[in-house]
Amino acid sequence: MYIYIVKRLLFLIPTILGIILIIFAVMNVTPGDPGRAILGVSARQDEVDALNHQLGYDLPFLQKYVNYIKNIVTKGDFGISYFTKQSVFDEIWPRFVLTIKLALCGILLSTLIGVPMGIYAAVKQYSLYDTIPSLIAFFIASIPGFVLGMVLLYVFSLKLNILPSYGAKTIRHLIMPVFAISISAAAQNMRFTKSSMLESVRQDYVRTARAKGLPESTVIWKHALKNALLPVVTQIGLNLGLLICGAVVIEKLFSLPGIGGLIVDRISFKDEPVIIAGTILIAVCFTIVMLIVDLVYAYIDPRIRAKYSRTSTK
Amino acid sequence: MKKFLALFFTLSMLMAVFCGYAGSAEAAENADKVLTVRTSSSMQSTDWAQTTHLADAQILWQNVFEGLYGMNEARGGYYHSLAKDVKISEDQLTYTITLVDATFQNGEPLKASDVVFTYKRALDIPRLKYLTSMLDTVSALDDKTVVFKLKYPYSAIEHTFFSIMIYSEKEVKAIGDSFGTKPHKAGTGAYYIDEYDPASSVKLKAHEGYWRGAPNIKNIDVLLITENSAAVIAYENGEIGYMHDAPTSEWEELVRASDGRNKMIKGNNVRTFYINYESKSNNAILANPLVRKAIFYAIDKETINKISTGGYGSVADEYMPSEYVKTSPPASAGGFEVYKYNPEKAKSLLKEAGFTDEQLKAGVPVGTILTYGATTGEKAKCAQVIQSDLSKIGLKSEVQVGDINMTSPMFHSYEYDLGIYGDSGNFDFNNIRQMVHSESKGMDLVRYKTDDSPFDWRRIEELLDLGVSTSDVEKRVVYYTELWKIVMDTATILPLINMPIGVVWGADVDPGAINPSYYQFFEFSWK
Repeated sequence: MYIYIVKRLLFLIPTILGIILIIFAVMNVTPGDPGRAILGVSARQDEVDALNHQLGYDLPFLQKYVNYIKNIVTKGDFGISYFTKQSVFDEIWPRFVLTIKLALCGILLSTLIGVPMGIYAAVKQYSLYDTIPSLIAFFIASIPGFVLGMVLLYVFSLKLNILPSYGAKTIRHLIMPVFAISISAAAQNMRFTKSSMLESVRQDYVRTARAKGLPESTVIWKHALKNALLPVVTQIGLNLGLLICGAVVIEKLFSLPGIGGLIVDRISFKDEPVIIAGTILIAVCFTIVMLIVDLVYAYIDPRIRAKYSRTSTK
Repeated sequence: MKKFLALFFTLSMLMAVFCGYAGSAEAAENADKVLTVRTSSSMQSTDWAQTTHLADAQILWQNVFEGLYGMNEARGGYYHSLAKDVKISEDQLTYTITLVDATFQNGEPLKASDVVFTYKRALDIPRLKYLTSMLDTVSALDDKTVVFKLKYPYSAIEHTFFSIMIYSEKEVKAIGDSFGTKPHKAGTGAYYIDEYDPASSVKLKAHEGYWRGAPNIKNIDVLLITENSAAVIAYENGEIGYMHDAPTSEWEELVRASDGRNKMIKGNNVRTFYINYESKSNNAILANPLVRKAIFYAIDKETINKISTGGYGSVADEYMPSEYVKTSPPASAGGFEVYKYNPEKAKSLLKEAGFTDEQLKAGVPVGTILTYGATTGEKAKCAQVIQSDLSKIGLKSEVQVGDINMTSPMFHSYEYDLGIYGDSGNFDFNNIRQMVHSESKGMDLVRYKTDDSPFDWRRIEELLDLGVSTSDVEKRVVYYTELWKIVMDTATILPLINMPIGVVWGADVDPGAINPSYYQFFEFSWK
């Protein structure tokens, strides 16, 4: 098992190298340059060229790529932001922490709402306890996060004046953003849990458990749910990854200084060091989340655990 | 009588104690109060010389730093700031400036050596060459006197004195290479930067030793809120106390919410239409002056204003608003053509140029209207209106809207047909130099000086030199009127609209006089 984890972590290296290469390539073919973006439209071209040279932007593509990798590996240096001249790591780390905080709170809330509702809807299929939450989930899942965010801002900030509309100073500042990003994920979790549970409760082992005379709660929680959780865990993991990468709209709406907003802002300035470092962090995080999902799989399902063990000992 | 006097004095003392307490309580409350100000873009640096955006300049210039001159459009333009007294030699080549008794935020007194240090630092920055190229030497005569020697007479040096902000040499040297990336106390302004996070906010604190007196508002948070709708909600919610350049798309909502605490003024900026007469499109159709003039007469600026600013802006017939720039030739004097909307005249000019009714009915291609700034879309809307206007007189065009990084090199290397561009923050008409002088390659959009130029570029450049050779404003206006007449006769640059500047503020704030470009928190007070 440990060897499997190490293997997966080692697999991160070519993944990250590939990601950096792709970003460099994309940045290289897109028009514009940081010199012009920083100095503005009225700057002279020779001044723009001088700044690009000073920033090392005019180096050949491969040389820039190799230099970048070398600096990360040998010095742990992600470079200096073209835009603010600050250390990239110092700039992105607090924002990354905020985004992770937002995503984790979001995933926790969406799981706490979505999974129990999905289980309940599956157990009470075709009743009002199933129909109404399913309709609500269908409706909510189709509302974009920013629309929900605007509604929340209007109601809780503007009309009721009980929550602040921007920033991330306190827990109160995070309530609306967390709710806005999690509600759609909660609806998805509910639908996944419900369909997975419906499939699970029709299996022979559930029928056997019922035939043995086990209480319904034991049948549901111990036999049906455990097996139904596998696809739900995958969905939650994917949602977490999506929340980390895709919280940018909510970050912008609530003026949260997160990593997504930072990357989007800096794209227009071609602030390559920030864009690349931010993307690397997100990619690493996404890969780690997927690894955790695999490990949770193994924890839940002994068959998978056994398979990992066999693979590791080969 | 004694009793009466005793009672009177006792009551007076009680009143005095009570009033004193009330006053100090109010002062204590105000000392803790924070004015929140919205900014729409993150501050690039805490060093004014490293910032290039107006939003940054609005905070750093005149609030944190100060120049020898200040700028206040609402009060008639440049004024003496750190310069107490300015003596100009007869040949206009030497400026001797005596400094005011100011202290930097770090407590150091302002000295002539700080000014010399600042200007030497500015001279080393290529981007600031347009402000410093006329300077020969800058030296300190004594602790309070600085002598500027110029290479040639340059009356527009006021703009240089305003634009170069004075640093504390000691503070800048102490911080070293990281100056600009962190808070500092290197300015003489009314506020110093207490906290700086480019991604979220900048916190300013009052400089109690400010040479004009301690500011009334002690704490200011400048918050980055990029989304207009979020900013409007934050304002309505009372979380923002001052918003400059408020979104015009939300203006009605803001007016409702601000209960009279708002002002919409004419901006000191202009959206301008350019024709590249060197374009090769459709057999160099734009080289024909009749076609260019027809295009100008076809443009309905009123509709552009209505569509792109909701009617809050104003039609621009001047490159720089003469009410803000005293050296700008006023359109009302009639010294140059302004191309009033006249589609009939436009059609007759096209016929004069040899186009037949059939050709015009089918549509004659004139190329692409290039512009940038897709985020706000206001220039894109200008382009669409112009495209429609041109189609009404039988000219076909396309619209291309790109990121500024992509379009800017195309403009500056003359690789466009028709274009819409923005310019702002001009306080002296001499700034037109960057658009019309051959030295300005890389900044201009039309190349007037070429081997076979159809234009009188020599006279344009001569008039630019004459314009800065004298400090007499009336004479300068005469030179610039002739210059602008030549430029307008080329039918290559057409001012379209002045953007509006909307300002809203909170119930407990008095922002003083509203300026289109800069605001000074020193003039703000709590109500």
